[in-house]
Amino acid sequence: MQTNLLSKETSAKSTHMSDKINHPQLCQWLDSVAHSRDKQAFTHLFQFFAPKILRIARGKFPNEAQANEVVQDTMSNVWRKAHLFNKDKGAATTWVYTVMRNVTFDMLRKIQGNKEDNLSDDIWPVAESMSCETEGFDDHLADKNLLSVIENLPQAQQDVVKGFYLREMSQEQLAVHLNLPLGTVKSRLRLALGKLKVQLGEKHD
Amino acid sequence: MINNHPKFELIQAFVNGDLPASLSAGIAIHADMCVECQKTIAQFTEQVAENSFEEEFLDRFIVDDNDALESIAAIDFDHMINAIVDSSDIDVVVPTIEKNISFNDETYIIPTALNSMELGKHAHIGKLTRTRIQLNENEIHTSLLHIQPGGGVPEHTHKGFELTVLLAGSFHDESGEYVKGDFIMLDGSHQHNPVSTNGCLCYTVASAPLHFTKGINKLLNPIGSFIY
Repeated sequence: MQTNLLSKETSAKSTHMSDKINHPQLCQWLDSVAHSRDKQAFTHLFQFFAPKILRIARGKFPNEAQANEVVQDTMSNVWRKAHLFNKDKGAATTWVYTVMRNVTFDMLRKIQGNKEDNLSDDIWPVAESMSCETEGFDDHLADKNLLSVIENLPQAQQDVVKGFYLREMSQEQLAVHLNLPLGTVKSRLRLALGKLKVQLGEKHD
Repeated sequence: MINNHPKFELIQAFVNGDLPASLSAGIAIHADMCVECQKTIAQFTEQVAENSFEEEFLDRFIVDDNDALESIAAIDFDHMINAIVDSSDIDVVVPTIEKNISFNDETYIIPTALNSMELGKHAHIGKLTRTRIQLNENEIHTSLLHIQPGGGVPEHTHKGFELTVLLAGSFHDESGEYVKGDFIMLDGSHQHNPVSTNGCLCYTVASAPLHFTKGINKLLNPIGSFIY
């Protein structure tokens, strides 16, 4: 049922999309990795992407071990960052391409003896790929303020608030990630929000 | 309004990850302020990604490449998958904390693309202040260049290329007025004399010292190395 929804959104996205890649399927696998750390779905993603990444990397790195490292690093970033993929912002292929290009870029810089400084994610953000950030500008100060208030919460509540608002994980994802019952996540979030309201309310009113 | 944009060839190289960090950051900074280029980049990225991961595209160069095929077969993918999914870590996005930089009592926000780059100390000549960005790209030098109101750079040409991305304020030369967000790429065929009436802050990438061209200004050629 969800598949229909997905394919509608994805196929309407752009003229560049071909039928040769099953985009809705890729999105669904990424989604399963993000939401339920689904190893089977990851294996499917791996089987689809890894051989292609390896081939592309072989073109950029003469050294076999380095090409393998690109595959390993790209795919493990996919595993660890799947929750940052936003299907409304673009195709799964575009997102994985960004992850791969960034891994490659940082590795080339390292190999060429420039520096080991991992600049790629600042140049090509993986979280919100090329989105217009201008509207966020005014909020940075408020964010900093908010962050300092969050830092004062008990650790257990901090984890939930940060996961939910900063990493934009769902309550279900958080429950899996923190290994807690869903009810506990919900009640911690409620408690934390109550405290935040009191603290921020004082300053905002 | 922004009137100067990167050429499409540059955007292509940017998306492919083929440009040095200095130029990549220059394009990212420009795109952050330019909706038009943002769109071009997004579309081109999507297209490149699609091509990269299309089976048929790959088939085309699989032919004649038996060595590569064999080495792919030799890699233990199952082992790699297991090693990856063994880890329960997920990457936390730390909200980027804005970095500031001050020139002559004015504070500017450093563009996000430069967030992890190391900045050198300020160096001054007249109304110009330069801070080197430490990218270690050999003959390519990257800097933040601040020009105080009324300041400018005497008429010069560029031996290599010189990229200027205007981060704040404005300046003008023989070709016109430049504003915040403008992406100005010049090479040896250009000669200009930029002046900033109200002051400005630029991100600059140069591949060779500037070369001053006019009369007494030739004495300034050491300054060319300062700005480079």
